Amino acid sequence: MKNNKKAKNDIILVAVILLIAAIGLLLVNITRQDGAFASVKIDGEETARYSLSDNNTVEILTGDNGEYSNTLVIENGRAYISEANCPDKICAGHKPVCYKGETIVCLPHKVVIEIVSDSSDSGLDAVG
Amino acid sequence: MKKILSVFITAVLVLCLSACTATDKKTKYNAYYFDYFDTATTITGYTETKEEFDAVCEEIKAQLNKYHRLFDIYTRYDGVNNLVTVNDVKGGKHQTVKVDKKIIDMLIFAKDIYEKTDGRVNIAMGSVLRIWHNYRTWGLDDPEKAELPPMNRLREAAKHTDINDVIIDEENSTVYLADAEMSLDVGAIAKGYAVERVAEFLENKGVTSFILNVGGNIRTIGLNGENEPFKAGIENPDTSNEEVPFIEFLRLSDMSLVTSGNYQRFYTVNGINYHHLIDPDTLMPGTNYLSVSVVTKDSGLADALSTALFLMSEEEGRALLEKIEGAEAMWVYPDGRQVYSQGFENYTFEYQG
Repeated sequence: MKNNKKAKNDIILVAVILLIAAIGLLLVNITRQDGAFASVKIDGEETARYSLSDNNTVEILTGDNGEYSNTLVIENGRAYISEANCPDKICAGHKPVCYKGETIVCLPHKVVIEIVSDSSDSGLDAVG
Repeated sequence: MKKILSVFITAVLVLCLSACTATDKKTKYNAYYFDYFDTATTITGYTETKEEFDAVCEEIKAQLNKYHRLFDIYTRYDGVNNLVTVNDVKGGKHQTVKVDKKIIDMLIFAKDIYEKTDGRVNIAMGSVLRIWHNYRTWGLDDPEKAELPPMNRLREAAKHTDINDVIIDEENSTVYLADAEMSLDVGAIAKGYAVERVAEFLENKGVTSFILNVGGNIRTIGLNGENEPFKAGIENPDTSNEEVPFIEFLRLSDMSLVTSGNYQRFYTVNGINYHHLIDPDTLMPGTNYLSVSVVTKDSGLADALSTALFLMSEEEGRALLEKIEGAEAMWVYPDGRQVYSQGFENYTFEYQG
């Protein structure tokens, strides 16, 4: 009788642990959306990541006193530079990006916007 | 109690196994640099640790910096005889310049490329390319006043582009420009050549699973973190097309991919874009294609071939590729049509971004 009760408790414990594990895994997989992000790198260091699913406008300030600026706009799942005070304005002329691996580079300000994903797929290794 | 504990431990182990199946998988890291060859450099590497990746990056930076300074045609550096020195010291008075062996080797490579490409890639075209460079720079600075270089100036400059006037003395490691009006512009090959040398340096050190990408000049070393060839995307030369950023995807291992395109460096005059790939015959930007991509092992060769093919008819280009083993190409015509050399599609694959 005593042994039976013990065995029953064990089974319950195992069931509970497995249930918690299953819920945990489920949660992790549900909350990890396969979404894309705009990763902002300044002089090679990632400084921020913005989800493409939230509209957003970000002023990226660089230079010793923040005198260089690039305005990153995230709109309807796409990212682009709306304004910049760099000499060539190539970044501001770049089309909006949204696919993994796409980049917008501002060479004078050493700013890179790269579309990245947090899913397990590593994406493209190089573009050119 | 023991039982409970053992069940608990088993559960934890099972959880760990399901969550950490990727423990032996290497992590992908990227680093970005802006100081070399007037373009953006991306280093991609798959390593066990960030420290390992950073250590390789430091080596790459030191190497790229060395080549960048030697091959620079715009800026002098203290204590370095570079191509600015060579361009400035000419004068027809037997003024030779002592340079690093790396410069000599690159110039010899450039002369060989000149022969192979029937003169389409000519590093002695500096006088012509300098004029285009200046007009492009002014045009980008002040787009309202952008102008084309006067043809008579280009023609005058083109009289001083004979590569046989680049006199190389390998033994004494000196260069001498026999025509006082000429100058060297290695823009079509130096970047790719330098990338190849750095890649060789890394390979000799046993580095693997890395990609050097200097302004789209891509050189892969080994396989990616899953022991598969790296995945590379070729940009759509129609840069306004938001739906199709890439027109082809390639799997590359120990190979280089270089694309020459009319969208890479250009300026606009009266609504028309004028890019940087100048045809030595017309002295104007080549208009046959939107872009030409080349896959071959040697990054210097890929760089030179992509420029050469861009400035040739497809027929001439195919004949050139016949002579070079292991080089494949894709031409993109102004109507968007993509044409491939025989083996190019061995590298392509379908990719869902």
